[in-house]
Amino acid sequence: MLETPLAIIAEITHRCPLHCAYCSNPLQMASPTSELSTRDWEAVFEQSAELGVLHVHLSGGEPLAREDLTQLVNSAHSCGLYTNLITSGIGLSAQRLEVLVKAGLDHIQLSFQDSREDNANWIAGARAHARKLEIAALIRKSGLAFTVNMVVHRQNLSCLDEMIALAESLMPERLEIAHVQYYGWAWKNLDALLPTREQVLTSLETIAAAQKRLAGKMRIDAVVPDYYARFPKACMGGWGRRQLLIDPAGRTLPCHAATVFPGLCFENVRERPLEWIWQESESFQKFRGQDWMPEPCRSCDRRTDDFGGCRCQAFMMTGNASATDPVCSLAPSHNLIEEHLAQVNSKAHNQSSPHQSPEFWIYRPQPK
Amino acid sequence: MPDLNDACRPRLATGCRWAGNGENRTLLFPEGALRLQQTARAILELCDGERTFGHIVQELRSTYSASDPVKIRQDATAFLERLRNKRLVDF
Repeated sequence: MLETPLAIIAEITHRCPLHCAYCSNPLQMASPTSELSTRDWEAVFEQSAELGVLHVHLSGGEPLAREDLTQLVNSAHSCGLYTNLITSGIGLSAQRLEVLVKAGLDHIQLSFQDSREDNANWIAGARAHARKLEIAALIRKSGLAFTVNMVVHRQNLSCLDEMIALAESLMPERLEIAHVQYYGWAWKNLDALLPTREQVLTSLETIAAAQKRLAGKMRIDAVVPDYYARFPKACMGGWGRRQLLIDPAGRTLPCHAATVFPGLCFENVRERPLEWIWQESESFQKFRGQDWMPEPCRSCDRRTDDFGGCRCQAFMMTGNASATDPVCSLAPSHNLIEEHLAQVNSKAHNQSSPHQSPEFWIYRPQPK
Repeated sequence: MPDLNDACRPRLATGCRWAGNGENRTLLFPEGALRLQQTARAILELCDGERTFGHIVQELRSTYSASDPVKIRQDATAFLERLRNKRLVDF
């Protein structure tokens, strides 16, 4: 039987004051004029709750760039949805935070790019770090449930200890240490972002020690970089199985990166009911279940754990959306991952350090 | 962190709340949801920040009078300490 989605990611705008080089937004961003209206989103939240969705993650871009954010939070909350704001913090004030909490916001996740201000601003392509520290203090003072998200990669992993200490000083209930995943703009910056093996192994030790030390005080969740894993991640909990994403213009996607597939049509919530999109649309059925799977997935014991890994990653690396995710050590195309790892772990590659030049990155621009 | 003792008043951590009713009652938290088994749900529903842990154990012992009272305390302690480490419960 088809399960109901548990969460929707509402990418309410692609506008953002930051330009993070690791952004997972698509290269073709939704223009401000194409964005869904307040009423459109309200209808989405109503339909989501009827479908059985429990969580809505308000994301972007920067969701605070939408002036109607409070109305959107209020609407989702009124439908009984657990409402999570995923934000850079830029655009928040004490007053706006108070209004959001009153509207029913359940949780806020604030991202940081580094513990060192100069490096953080360089990665973000914006002078944002100092303001984020002020915003973190406002959030803690408000009593709202609070997660700090540290986005890590080769250019900041050497400071992981400092980043954990910074998070600790901000006193969130939870710290998420998220290794960059290579979609959208991060895929363009892969060579600069992919960590070395030594960095990854050290980070695992650092995280384990911090989890032990901070148990009961600050929960630490870490997302392991899948290029270094033996088996792929269960991307989105399986295609069309647990979650769906609605982009600023109303296109409904099984995951953040799904627009990379040429020729796959993603239905719009302006034109179709969400229930129909989830149950019937071609795009959601395309890789649902096991019928699409090639070998070695088809006969693999792990096929119900990782669902063959990420379809977008398979397509981006091999050109075949139905291929086994190349990060899997059993995949015929695993050599593609090994080539990237061999390059980043070679001495010559590590000697070229960036010195914080803006030209080092392909920054994520503003949507037009 | 202090150990769980009889004077503690366990409560759902900030950002955790219930949704739904009866068998479908689900604990919601920032990145997920838990549909708990009957006993686990019974323990957690007593964690209202008013009752002390001593009081909660007493209530569980009268509800589950056929079970070993020592084991009830051990199980409830282990369960709540586990949830505290996940930052779902505070005490």
